[in-house]
Amino acid sequence: MQLADTIVALSTPPGRSGIGVIRLSGPRSLEIARAIVCDEQFTPEPNHARLQTVYDLESRDALDRALITYFKAPHSFTGEDVIELSCHGSPVLLRRLIDLVLTLDARLAGPGEFTLRALSNGRINLSQAEAVRDLINAQTESAIKQAARQLRGELSNYLQPIKDALLDIIVPLESSLEFVEDDLPDVAVGRITQSLSELTEKVERLTATFRAGHLLKDGLKVTLAGRPNVGKSSVFNSLLSSERAIVTDVPGTTRDSLSEVVSIEGIPVLLVDTAGVRTTEDKVENLGVERTRRAIADSDLILVILDGSEPLTVEDKEVLAEVGDLPHLLAVNKSDLESFSLNGLLAEASVPVIPISAKTGAGLDELRGAILKPFAEGGARDAGLLITDARHHDLLRRTQGALQTSALLLEQRASEELVLAGLYDALRFLGQITGETTTEDILSQIFATFCIGK
Amino acid sequence: MSFDEIFDVIIIGAGHAGCEAASAAARLGAETALVTINLDLIGQMSCNPAIGGIAKGHLVREMDALGGVMGRVIDRTGIQFRLLNRSRGPAVQAPRAQADRSLYRTEMRRTLEATTNLHLRQGMVVDLIIKNGQVCGVELQDTRRLGAKGVVIATGTFLNGLIHTGRRTHTAGRAGEPASIELAESLKRLGFPVGRLKTGTPPRLDGRTIDWDAFEPQYADERPVPFSFATDRIEQPQVTCHIGYTTNAVHDAIRANLHESPLYSGKIKGIGPRYCPSIEDKVVKFAEKDRHQLFLEPEGHTTNEVYLNGFSTSLPAELQQELVRMIPGLEEARIIRPGYAIEYDFVDPRELTPSLETVRFRGLFHAGQINGTTGYEEAGCQGLIAGINAALFVQGREPLRLRREESYIGVLIDDLITHGVDEPYRIFTSRAEYRLALRYDTADARLTPHGRELGLVGDSDWDRFNHRRDRLARLRETLENTRLKRSDAAYSSLSRILGVDLGESVTLAQLALRPNVRPDLIERLLPAEIRAEASLDDLQSALADLLYSGYIDSHKATLDRLHQHDSLRLPPDFDFRAISGLSHEMVERLERARPQTFGHVRRIPGMTPAALSTLLVQLNLRQRAA
Repeated sequence: MQLADTIVALSTPPGRSGIGVIRLSGPRSLEIARAIVCDEQFTPEPNHARLQTVYDLESRDALDRALITYFKAPHSFTGEDVIELSCHGSPVLLRRLIDLVLTLDARLAGPGEFTLRALSNGRINLSQAEAVRDLINAQTESAIKQAARQLRGELSNYLQPIKDALLDIIVPLESSLEFVEDDLPDVAVGRITQSLSELTEKVERLTATFRAGHLLKDGLKVTLAGRPNVGKSSVFNSLLSSERAIVTDVPGTTRDSLSEVVSIEGIPVLLVDTAGVRTTEDKVENLGVERTRRAIADSDLILVILDGSEPLTVEDKEVLAEVGDLPHLLAVNKSDLESFSLNGLLAEASVPVIPISAKTGAGLDELRGAILKPFAEGGARDAGLLITDARHHDLLRRTQGALQTSALLLEQRASEELVLAGLYDALRFLGQITGETTTEDILSQIFATFCIGK
Repeated sequence: MSFDEIFDVIIIGAGHAGCEAASAAARLGAETALVTINLDLIGQMSCNPAIGGIAKGHLVREMDALGGVMGRVIDRTGIQFRLLNRSRGPAVQAPRAQADRSLYRTEMRRTLEATTNLHLRQGMVVDLIIKNGQVCGVELQDTRRLGAKGVVIATGTFLNGLIHTGRRTHTAGRAGEPASIELAESLKRLGFPVGRLKTGTPPRLDGRTIDWDAFEPQYADERPVPFSFATDRIEQPQVTCHIGYTTNAVHDAIRANLHESPLYSGKIKGIGPRYCPSIEDKVVKFAEKDRHQLFLEPEGHTTNEVYLNGFSTSLPAELQQELVRMIPGLEEARIIRPGYAIEYDFVDPRELTPSLETVRFRGLFHAGQINGTTGYEEAGCQGLIAGINAALFVQGREPLRLRREESYIGVLIDDLITHGVDEPYRIFTSRAEYRLALRYDTADARLTPHGRELGLVGDSDWDRFNHRRDRLARLRETLENTRLKRSDAAYSSLSRILGVDLGESVTLAQLALRPNVRPDLIERLLPAEIRAEASLDDLQSALADLLYSGYIDSHKATLDRLHQHDSLRLPPDFDFRAISGLSHEMVERLERARPQTFGHVRRIPGMTPAALSTLLVQLNLRQRAA
């Protein structure tokens, strides 16, 4: 069963790029492809890319040579007939092509509509739908790996045995209630207590991965602060040149010109360079100072840059006072100079002090390590399945809570229907992750966060 | 169209569904005919002479609270009352009673005959009279035609009934009674999707031939808990049941003769209930068990017949006799009636609305085994709802629809019309998401106001209900507000008994929730005037409210969340066919119902959660686009 209409959208981020992918889904997809290649017989083999000329239907001019891939229903992402057009990435060309397709009885896809169709047609489950969103928003390779894992259903797969084990506990308890008159073996409370505690532990372990998973997905915001001329911009640039993030220009994310995403150990770190913190009469500069203060207050970590070739100045002390008790690190620059000294900071400061040279690159690795240290124990790069979604984390915590309540009631020898109430709740919570017992509001939440054409 | 007699409502079948339906419709003021093949077998217990049990007992209480008759009749004719799960929490306790089969029939008939507007008619219905998509009467085998705007079909196992014993089969509704074949054909002709189910019954023994000493006695409760809120005490003398076991020798003999069983020779096509298997099924599917439990249940005060519960079989009669004699204690036993299996037609209950009316024909209702259920209680509660709604339909009033959150009856009906059945459906407490709130002792609070509003609950029952409700309110208030202080005389002895320090002061409610505090202890601490008016039952109800209140609150929160989209409106031109992910069946249901709000969609019979989510997402997308 298919929708009556066919939807189209640009699947790659808007703007100039190497290639741009236009995706169509719906019963008219193949027909539309035939129209734009001007070949009524055009029947590409499903799942194979074909190089084809696409035409402007009005002027009859060739528009582009595009790779066309046909995915036949139900073996496509959405479960419907899907056509993907990989074109050259000129925004003008892509816009023109989409306009053409819209004249051929297709309509522009709503936010998250491709994923919605995939979900409606049973091609993916709820946690996979969320993974699609994460995959598209992922900023580093590790985050992509995590999202891909979830998309393959690994979270659902991981939870399945937990659900099964939960059922193994529920079944004997439930039957002892329902079939009192039958000759059933006594409920093995010891065994049930044991497997309940194993189960709770598994859920606990998975829940605990959220700390690392959350970092992977949402990353850290690190703000550089310091008076002018300490080499802030050089430090900023040398941290950038190491390992650029895969996606540096995510549409929809507001950033000023002085911020960049770098990947440190697979964790996306948003570096923000700031104007100096200096009180002046100049209105324009004051605006910059105001912005700096906001950036500082809004950061996960502040990197205070000092110049080690000179003694601390009044301005340096003002910066340190501004940072105050907020989480921060001291990076003492210009360690390559002879006059360099840590100015006794090592003894005074309660936070890590790292000597660096933006010029030679000395100390930069230590600095990177120090940035991550307070956040990611053990590093996230090679960790197994991680919980990256706050909703999943919340549900797992609730699952854990429900299981613990049941375990306590079991220990107190409470009546089975009370023990079971918690176990059923746990099942319900787990079901909300795998999408099997989905409630409507989760869905509307998910699709509200989707961008167009995914 | 000419009719021999015209009524408002006609009930076809006088089993447990039919009796409730007829009584309710008549008491709601509808001129009601109860048509049955044999007037002497009204309220016949075709199988086990017992009513109640876990969840089933809840159903009987709920029927009683609404104004049904089953609870009152069993209270007057029950000969062994037991409250099951006494050691468990109050939400999963329920009464069960052995009935005197013959007394039950007599009492049910007496009850019906004493009902104004109710007319008993003997005859076999062979056809429904339908006009313009609406039922308008029935035709009997003797060619009489009875007119009515509301008709309830409650035909039990009679529709195309086929009895199996060994390799022999014969058409029958129950042993010794004719099957209803023409009506079954008529339903198929009218387009109803019909399936086949199977059930079975064990042999009945001559009690004089049983060695009773070989069995373990099971006594009635000393303080019987009645089914009806109107019953003050059980008058029937109570009897003892007995428990015994099969042996491996019996199992071997059954296995050696499986080829004689219609179940295993493939003769029986209908699906039987998994939770009530025949002894053949038990020994095949649980081959590792070396004994199976049996109950010897007396069928009444004035008969020697004993029901061999747990030994349902369709093996040949002579083999049944041999097998029974291999059971320790039954070496000399003689079978009075052999057990048998019966196959019968049922109509897919997804054809029904929550008021049990068929979607196909207005005014036509189905209740009981025709809907794929099993059990007297399951049948009775459907009969009650169908009878009420048939009368309301004729009177042009809004139908009664019970929700899952308020009753097991609502759970049962919602399950049936949403999911259909693939084996005979029985109620279980675990089918209810909100079972902690559906206690047997709260059925009155949940349903009696509905019954009163309908006109089924009379003045004296309503007074009783209000008194109990007020007593419980005072009791709850007392428990919450009565404090024991350190200086009180009772405090120190209590603290010593419990072996813990209770703090500066403690309320009776807090005390009651402590482990090892029994209700009788709380009772002794109640102020004298409360103690004088509240019974131990009242106290147990109030304490149960305390025990479960936290859980029930969180359930309520879940419910509120689930229903938060109910007011979302559907555009009048909404095209369900254009929504992918909706099956043909869902689209058909939606087009038939033409819902105006999401709340209405949610209540359309048979909508799956997946379909609801899909629709909701589409509605949200549309709203955002608009």
